[in-house]
Amino acid sequence: MPAASGRCGGSGRCPDRRARPPPRSSVPLSAQDTVDRLLRLHFRDGRTRVNADAQLLVAELLKVFVREAAARAARQAQAEDLKKVDTEHLEKALPQLLLDF
Amino acid sequence: MAAAGAEERQMLAQRLKAAVHYTVGCLCQEVEEDKDVQFSKQSIAAISEITFRQCEIFAKDLEMFARHAKRTTVTTEDVKLLARRSNSLTKLKYITQKSEELASSNMEQKEKKRKKSSAAKGARTPGEQEAAVTENEDSNTA
Repeated sequence: MPAASGRCGGSGRCPDRRARPPPRSSVPLSAQDTVDRLLRLHFRDGRTRVNADAQLLVAELLKVFVREAAARAARQAQAEDLKKVDTEHLEKALPQLLLDF
Repeated sequence: MAAAGAEERQMLAQRLKAAVHYTVGCLCQEVEEDKDVQFSKQSIAAISEITFRQCEIFAKDLEMFARHAKRTTVTTEDVKLLARRSNSLTKLKYITQKSEELASSNMEQKEKKRKKSSAAKGARTPGEQEAAVTENEDSNTA
């Protein structure tokens, strides 16, 4: 699954605490790279890395999360006899979703 | 100095959010077809926002798990621990991990036998097909 190409590239003016600086040009991120950067964005320690297999698993976990969120919201909408899923349906499904993850 | 770093970080976050939003859109489209419903733009945006924030929680947990095990590299064991809450996820992860290992060793094989590689094998991990469990009916909710 291709990731959207970024419009902005990091200027890379100052070295940041992550092991690798973000790419300078707006090169599209590969799916794997995206997961890696997503996680590294939130790591407290600059040295923490993610194993390749773990990256795949996290990507999988996130996909399951999204599908689950979408499916539960859809189920909620269907329970109300509606075909269009709106944020209110998502809101109703959200608490249990977060508890389950 | 700190301000420039923060700005850079923000721009990276924006790019990542956009990437997540795109993928969420694709996944929602699959669910749309599957369940014959339609997702409003706001709900798709909301799901991608939620996913992005959930990533933060996942990342921090993973880092802590790795650190607890006195490692600096997050491994599949950490990810499996992350998925512990849902019963079916834990089982699924086990299967997925097996296919990951197969996939990694397959990739190495392919590198060596490039001429004979057929398109059918592909780079797609079998794990992706395994996790097609859309509704976890038997998740830990009653």
